[in-house]
Amino acid sequence: MNLYEFEGKKLFAKHGIATPKGAVVKRGDNFMDAYNSLGVTDVVVKAQVLSGKRGKNNGIKFCSSIQEVVMACAELFDMQIRGQYVSALLIEEKLNIAEEHYFSITYDTNKKQPVIIYSSEGGMDIEDVAEEQIEKKFLDVRQSVILSEAKNLGGQLDPSAVPQDDIKNKLWSCFLAEDTRVVEINPLVKTTDGRWVAADAKVAIDDDAFYRHEEWKELEPRTMMGRLPTDREIAAKKIDEGEAYYRGTAGKYIELDGDIAMILNGGGASIANMDALAGAGLKPSNYTEYSGNPPREKVYQLAKVVLSKPGLKGLWMCGVVANFTNIKETFMGIVDALDEIKPAYPIVVRRDGTESAEGFALLEECVKRNNLNIKMFKKETGMSETAQVLAEMIRDSSVITRSEERATS
Amino acid sequence: MSILISKNTKVLVQGITGKEGQKGAKAMLDYGTNVLCGVTPKKGGQEVEGKPVFDTVKEAMAVILSEAKDPLTFGEMDSSTPARASAQNDKLSDVVSVIYVPPFAAKAAILEAIENDIALINVFVERIPIKDTAYCLAAAKEKNIRILGPSSLGAINPGVGRIGVIGGPLVNDIFKPGSIGVISRSGGMTNELSWQLSKNGLGQSAAVHVGGDLLMGTTYADVLKLYEKDEQTKAVIIFGEHGGSYEFEIVELIKNKEFTKPLAIYIGGKFAQMLPEGMNIGHAGAIVARGQGAAEKEAALKEVGVMIAERYEDLVELVKLHA
Repeated sequence: MNLYEFEGKKLFAKHGIATPKGAVVKRGDNFMDAYNSLGVTDVVVKAQVLSGKRGKNNGIKFCSSIQEVVMACAELFDMQIRGQYVSALLIEEKLNIAEEHYFSITYDTNKKQPVIIYSSEGGMDIEDVAEEQIEKKFLDVRQSVILSEAKNLGGQLDPSAVPQDDIKNKLWSCFLAEDTRVVEINPLVKTTDGRWVAADAKVAIDDDAFYRHEEWKELEPRTMMGRLPTDREIAAKKIDEGEAYYRGTAGKYIELDGDIAMILNGGGASIANMDALAGAGLKPSNYTEYSGNPPREKVYQLAKVVLSKPGLKGLWMCGVVANFTNIKETFMGIVDALDEIKPAYPIVVRRDGTESAEGFALLEECVKRNNLNIKMFKKETGMSETAQVLAEMIRDSSVITRSEERATS
Repeated sequence: MSILISKNTKVLVQGITGKEGQKGAKAMLDYGTNVLCGVTPKKGGQEVEGKPVFDTVKEAMAVILSEAKDPLTFGEMDSSTPARASAQNDKLSDVVSVIYVPPFAAKAAILEAIENDIALINVFVERIPIKDTAYCLAAAKEKNIRILGPSSLGAINPGVGRIGVIGGPLVNDIFKPGSIGVISRSGGMTNELSWQLSKNGLGQSAAVHVGGDLLMGTTYADVLKLYEKDEQTKAVIIFGEHGGSYEFEIVELIKNKEFTKPLAIYIGGKFAQMLPEGMNIGHAGAIVARGQGAAEKEAALKEVGVMIAERYEDLVELVKLHA
């Protein structure tokens, strides 16, 4: 999960990296009080978004008076930055900049270990910095301290390198202790009075380490979809929390603009099937998958979330031949939700695996009970083909609806 | 010939007393794979599927080593001599540990297997924190130990054996011995693609699920090197995905002539590229990143002669002529 700048800076400060004096404001807060609390005249007002090139997209405003701050706040809360929702603003003291540097640590997937990247050319996107201006060093995740090469050489010690060494190690301790996937300071500012300050913070935490970070519960729900998370998204995420969180995954729900409810299986097949749905000319109302043999209850919760969205025109439940997910157990959760919601729109199911005969038998009983418009397939029919079947069913049912309308008018 | 698994493969199951561990042990035994024993701390003395359970991997090693078939060298030399150590390592080269434990116990379990010089460790566990994975991969690399996973359902050599639960109970419907190597980031798609091969009268030399995490112990490139050496394998199909840079390693491999057989690939996630950069969708490793999308990967692979499938169903058609 990506953190907002102000959250990242709190982590930096915790590990001894200096950050500018600042105050966070939300919509409806008193911006004047926040500004006055800083006790400085010149400030920067920065939009808090989850990604994107904020500076280049007018997400940062320099102000020197209360009036300017209030105006900047109103303007920024009205914006979207590269499709990202502005959830808060950070009002900070303006730094007197002498130099701008760059530091980041992330995992290099090629080397399968962390890499620290440094450049004296900070302040711009690292992709735009010339290769020879960038220093990269691979780190051993088992070592808690990064040794300075200057110190290792023993001889000439460049005194200006020392503060960077210090910050490097503080950033490393933040990277490790906070279970992050990325930490980036850009720019790391050297002020005209010689202080080193992290002027920005980009941090992504590793969601899978949540069980050893009680404090993450305090982070507000978020989505990168350029809006606030919906109630359905928040409800779905809760399904995979709690003690047996690792017993199957069933908390993935991203709301989209289309009208076909999606209940897919497995991280790989699901993404491929999102492409297959588009290929059949249909638009998904959500991205959802469950995998890893979740219990009935989790599947029921998830199906209820998916089917509760208004305006649905069809449901596609499409999954692979399962390796170890039990079809009967998971279909029981689906049946529970269908019994409750009784959708009138067309449904297509494609699935196979352990106890699939029993699973499909339960589903058939449910279909009879509720008189559902459904077609069911096993492994003999390819997954993408069944998206075409759903498209045809929806076409047919809308023809029927239209002719019924004509008949009654 | 075969890759990763042979008739001599001996399996240890860490976490064998858990629900998934038990299922895993049964799946392997049902397919004729030699599961020797299991390990679950504090459950030593029990039996699962008729196999003994030990508290530690170290205790289990006694059973594993007694199965080693070379009495001439074994036990005659002082264990401190390099000859004895290497003789022991040779025996251990057929030993696989398959790990089914909760994610918070995974690091300790993997390190225990590494400490005991298990040659191949298949990590089934999903949602291991990336820091723990990186730690284990670093420790394994030092000892030249191969980790398959995390989040890997294992691998199968049809007719020879399987490690993990790949294929589930329908394994004999889905998998047939043949000449096509399968590699997939997705467990489900490993089955789906293998099933399509079998349905079309082709079979698999092996199918390997490399797992969907950001850091992979065994990459596509690693498996391709094994397929290159395997005489049974005539061509390979891969199910790849958006995010991560592993597909680009294939480009390098082909350029360096380390892989020369026909290769067809499908890269999922054109839909995902419409989402904001940095968003994670699908597997843990599938993070939307400019320059690492399906289109960029396809272009780079096409340039070195890899066949690109528009739909995953097309992979079979692409390799049919080479089988």
